[in-house]
Amino acid sequence: MKVLDVQRVSRSFGPVHALRDVSLAFRAGEVHALMGENGAGKSTLIKALAGVDRPDAGSLMLDGAPVPWGSPSAVQAAGLRFIHQELHPVRGLSVAENMYLDHSYPTRLGLVNWRTLNEKARAALVRLNLGHIDPRAPMSDLGAGDQMLVRIAATLIHDAGEEAPWLYVMDEPTAALTGEESEHLFSVVDELVKRGAGVLYVSHRMPEVLRLSARVSVLRDGEHISTRPLAETDQARIIHDMTGRDLGGLFPSREKPLDPKAAPVLSVRALRAGPLREASFDLAPGEVLGIGGLSGSGRGALLRAILGDLTREGGEVQLDRKNLARHPADVWSQGIAYVPRERASEGLMLGRSITENIALPHLSRFARGGYFLDPRRQTGAADEKGQRVRLKRASLHQPCAELSGGNQQKVLFARALAGKPRVLLLDEPTRGVDIGARFDLYRIIRSLSEEGIAVLLASSDLLELIGLSDRIAIMQEGRLTGIIDADGLTEGSLLAQFYETVDEDQAA
Amino acid sequence: MTGMIRRFGGLLGMVAVIAFFAINLPETFLTARNLLNISQQISMLAVVAVTMTVVMVMGDFDLSVGAMASLAGVVAAMLFLQGWSIPAALAVAIGVGLVGGLFNGVMVSLVGILPFVATLATLTVFSGLAFMISDGRTIFGRDIPEAFGEFARGGPVIGSIDERVLVLPNLTLVAIVVAFLVWVVLEQTSYGRRLYAIGGNREAARLAGLPVVWLRLSAFAFTGIGAAMAGLMYASRVASANPTQGDGLMLTAIAAVFLGMTITRDGQPRVLATLAGVVILGVLDNGLTQMRVDSYVREVLVGAIILLAVGLSALSRHGFSLRRR
Amino acid sequence: MIFRTTLAGAVMAVGLTGTAVAQDVAVITPYLAQPGTQFYVEGFTAQAEELGWTTNVIDTAGDVAAVISRIEDVVTQGVDAIVINVDPAQVGAGLRTAADAGIPVVGMDAGSDPLVAANITSNGYAMAAETAVYVANRISGEGGVVMFTFDPFPPVQVRGVIADAVFANFPDIEVLDRITPDVSDGGIADSRAQMEALLAANPEPGSIAAVWAAWDQPALGALQAIEAAGRAEEGIVITGIDANPQARDAIAQGGNFEASVAQDFQGIGAATADTVARLIAGEELVQRVIYVPTQLVTSANVGE
Repeated sequence: MKVLDVQRVSRSFGPVHALRDVSLAFRAGEVHALMGENGAGKSTLIKALAGVDRPDAGSLMLDGAPVPWGSPSAVQAAGLRFIHQELHPVRGLSVAENMYLDHSYPTRLGLVNWRTLNEKARAALVRLNLGHIDPRAPMSDLGAGDQMLVRIAATLIHDAGEEAPWLYVMDEPTAALTGEESEHLFSVVDELVKRGAGVLYVSHRMPEVLRLSARVSVLRDGEHISTRPLAETDQARIIHDMTGRDLGGLFPSREKPLDPKAAPVLSVRALRAGPLREASFDLAPGEVLGIGGLSGSGRGALLRAILGDLTREGGEVQLDRKNLARHPADVWSQGIAYVPRERASEGLMLGRSITENIALPHLSRFARGGYFLDPRRQTGAADEKGQRVRLKRASLHQPCAELSGGNQQKVLFARALAGKPRVLLLDEPTRGVDIGARFDLYRIIRSLSEEGIAVLLASSDLLELIGLSDRIAIMQEGRLTGIIDADGLTEGSLLAQFYETVDEDQAA
Repeated sequence: MTGMIRRFGGLLGMVAVIAFFAINLPETFLTARNLLNISQQISMLAVVAVTMTVVMVMGDFDLSVGAMASLAGVVAAMLFLQGWSIPAALAVAIGVGLVGGLFNGVMVSLVGILPFVATLATLTVFSGLAFMISDGRTIFGRDIPEAFGEFARGGPVIGSIDERVLVLPNLTLVAIVVAFLVWVVLEQTSYGRRLYAIGGNREAARLAGLPVVWLRLSAFAFTGIGAAMAGLMYASRVASANPTQGDGLMLTAIAAVFLGMTITRDGQPRVLATLAGVVILGVLDNGLTQMRVDSYVREVLVGAIILLAVGLSALSRHGFSLRRR
Repeated sequence: MIFRTTLAGAVMAVGLTGTAVAQDVAVITPYLAQPGTQFYVEGFTAQAEELGWTTNVIDTAGDVAAVISRIEDVVTQGVDAIVINVDPAQVGAGLRTAADAGIPVVGMDAGSDPLVAANITSNGYAMAAETAVYVANRISGEGGVVMFTFDPFPPVQVRGVIADAVFANFPDIEVLDRITPDVSDGGIADSRAQMEALLAANPEPGSIAAVWAAWDQPALGALQAIEAAGRAEEGIVITGIDANPQARDAIAQGGNFEASVAQDFQGIGAATADTVARLIAGEELVQRVIYVPTQLVTSANVGE
C-alpha cells in the first residue's frame, strides 16, 4: 500500500510562519480530511505538495523514496492529482476533449479518431458511475459539479507507460457545487477509494468531512494540532482543535422572543417568476425564515423574484402592506437588501476597494444633492458597517480581491446593512466561508433579527437552516410546499421533508 | 518594488519622453508658444478620448466616434450652406451626436449587441450618412461662415513674446472645459461611480440594484456628443468639412485611453490619465516632427511606444500576480 | 526613403540664387500616398538636393487638421520655408502662424490664397482648351459631342467652362449632353452607365461624334460603354485630361480614346523648389500663380 510522507515541513513568508514542522502521512485507500481555519497553513501545504511552492525545510517521501520539492511534474509522476475549486474548463470543447486536454488525442492516419476519443472518455466516466454525462456534449452544457466530476474522471485516462494516479488532492471541491452535485462528488470519492486510491480532502464543511473521511488532521497557525481516525473524534472536538477554544454551540440562540402579534413586514402571495412557480408566505419583523429544498427546487429563484431580478409573472409582494416595486433599483431603495449567492461573479467588484463595494447601491444617499460624491460620508459608512460585521481588513481602500472568502462575504453584509434594510435576502450566505468567519456571520444574522430586521435565508446547509431559522419554508420543484417550525428538527428529518411527495397535486 | 514600478513606471516614461525632447530641442520645445500649439493640436483628440473614457470605464468602447466626428462636421457645413446661423447649425450637429450616441447605447445596452459589433456597424452607418448628405464632397471656402473658421484660429490673448502675441487657443479652452466636466461626472458624482461599478462587475452592480441598462445606454451619449464636438472643432480648424476627416480620431483616442490606463494605480481608465495619454501622443507628434523624423518612421515609433507602455504595465501586473501565487 | 534627403549644407550648390546657404525646408501634405503627389515631391527633393537644402517631407495620411499642426511644429522648429500640397483654405490657421513668424509658404498645386506666396501648378484652362480644340478639329467642327464635367470641384469646373466656350464657337457642333458622373467609386462605373444610356438613346451610327471628358476616368468609362455596345468602329473620338496610366494604355492601343493631357508633376516639384529659392533670396513675386507647361498625349507620343 502506497504512503506519501510529509516530513517536518516548514515554510515562512517574512515573519509569518505558514507551516511549522508539520509531519503528515497520506495512505492509499482512505479519505484523509485536512481542516483548519483560513491562514492555518492548508493552502501552503497543498501548494508545496503540488510543486508550485517550495518549503524552507522538510522532505516528501513516496514509499520511502524522496520526491523533489518544487516540481509539478515529479509530483504528477508520483501519482498525485489535484482537483481545485477553480475549474478552468474549455467551454467550447466537448467533454471528451476536455478530458484529453493534457493527453494526445487518439488518431488514425494522422487524423483525430473521434470514435476512440469518445469511447475512452465514456469508459472513464462509466468507471466512476458517471454514465449520465455524454462525452460528446459541449462542456458549457454541464453544471459546475459535472465539470468537476469530468475533471476527476479525466485522471483515469493515462498515456501508455504512465502510472495510474493513486492520491487525489481535493481543495474545497464542493465550494461551487449545489447539494445534489456534491452528492455526486461524494459517490465518486467513495468509488475512487473503493478502487484503492487515497484522497486528501480539504474542506470547511463539517458535514462532508464527517461523512467522507476515515481520518481527520487539523492545522492551526501553521502547526499540526491533531490527526485522529474519525471514530475517535467528532464535530466539537474538530472545532476545538481548529479554533483552540470550546464553542458554546454553533449557533447563537434567540435572546428576545418574536412578537407573535406583530403584523407581517413582507407578504408574498402566489408569486410566480421564471423557475419559481408558486410561493406564498408572511414574514414577521425580526423573523428568520429559512428556505430549504433540494438543489434546483427554486430557493434562489424565490429571492430573486422578490428582488425583481426575475421578472414577476404573477402574484403579489407587499412590503408593509404596500406593493413592492418591480425593479431591483427600486426594491433596494424601498428597504430590501440582497446578498447574492456567487460572491465573485454576482456580488463584488473584486478589483475595487472595500468602500466602493459597500457604497455601491447607496451612492445617491451618500452624495450631496444626490449627485456629487462625498467621500467622507462613504468611508464613514463603510467603516461603521465594516466594524458592525467584524470585517478584518488592512484598509478601507484595499481591493476586495485581497480579502479572504469570509471577509468578502462580510463586505456584502456591510453593503446590505448600509441601506438600513427592513428585510434581508440571503442566498447561501456562508458558502465557502471558513469556520471563524462563519460564526461571525451567524452572530450578525442573529443580532440583526433581534433588531427587528426580517431575514429570508436560502441555504443548502441543513445545520445552518435549523440552527438559525425560526421557521423553514420547503421548496419543491419551484413551489413553496410547506412551512415548518425549525424547533426540534434534525438534519435527517429536514431532509426527509425535502423529499416528501406533496399530495397537493392529487388533492387539487 | 514592482508595485512602485507599476504605479509610477508609466508616469516616469512620460516624463522621460518630455525630457528627451526638451534636451534635443532646447530652444523650441519647452516654450510657451510650442506648448500652446501642442495644446491646440491635441484638443480634438482630448475631447474624443475623454468622452471615450466614459464608456471605457464600463468595459465598453465606441468605434463609431471618428465617423460621428466626420458626420457632425458635414451636418454643420450642410446647414451653413442652407443659410442656418452658426449656433443653430452647431446645436443640430451636437444633437446628431447625442442621438447617434444614444442609438449606440440602445444597441449595446437594450438590444444587447457586443459594443465592438454594434459600434462597428454604426461607424459604417454614420460614415455612409456623412457621404450621403455631402455627396462625398468637401465643403469649404465661401460655404463655411468666416466666423466659424475664425473660432479655431482665435482665443484670448495671454501675453506676447518676441513681439508676437501669445494666444490661449479657443480649441484648448473647449477641451479643458469638456475634460473638466467629464472629470466631475466620472470622479465626483454617484452617476460616474456607478459606471465604474459596472466596469468592476456588471452582474454584481445589477443585483445591487443599479439601473445598469439605463446607465450603459446613457453613457454612450457622452461619446456621441464628444465625437460631434470634436468633429466641429476639426471642421472649424480646417474651415471645411468632408465625410472622412474625423475618421482617424477613433483609433488614436482608444490608444490614448489605453496609454492612460498604464499610469493609473488600478489599471482603470481615468480622465486625467487619459489626458496624460493624449498629451504624450501629441508631444510625440510635435517633438518628432521638429526633430525631422520621417512621417512613417514617426508612426512606427508611436505604435511601438504604445506597445511598450501597455506591455510593461501588463508585465508588471503579471509579475505581481506571480509573486502573490 | 527617397522622399527625404538630409544633406546638411556641405554642397556648394549652384542654385538660382547663386548663394550657398544651407536651407531648411518642410514639405507638408496629407496626400503623399497618391501617385501625383509622389511625383511632385520627387521633383522637389531632386531640385532641393542640388541646391543643398535639408528637406523634411511630412505626410499626415489624409488628416488635414494634422497639416495645420505640423505647420505649427515646423514654424516652431524655425524652418526657412514651407511647401504645402493641400487646399490653403483648409489650413488657414497654419498659414497664419507661418505668416506671423515671417516664414514663406509656397503651394505645390495647392490653390491660391493671400497667405500663400505663390502656387505652382498646371494651367487647367489651357489643358481643357487643348483637348476641346483637339476634339473640334478631329470631327471637323461638326457633330454631336458628349461632355463629362464635374462642377463641384473648382479645378475641374474651370476645364468645363473652357470646353463649353470652345464647342460654342463651332456652330455645327451640338453638345448632346453635359453629364456630371457620380464619382464616389472613381467615376468610371457611373460614366459607363450614363454613356450606355446615351448610346441607347442615339442608336444612329455617327449620331455621336465625340466624347470630351474633363478628366480621364469618365473617358475610360465612355470607352468601355462604346466598346461594349459594339460601336467602336463608328469613329467616336474620346479625350480625357491628366493622362493617367490607364488612359495612356488606352491611347496606346489606338482605339477611340485618342488624346489626353499630361501634367508635368516632376516639373511642378522642381519649379516649386526654384520658387522657394527665389523667395528665400528675397525676391518679391509678382506672379503668384506659376504655370508649368503641360503636354498633349496622343498615340504619336504616348510611348515617351
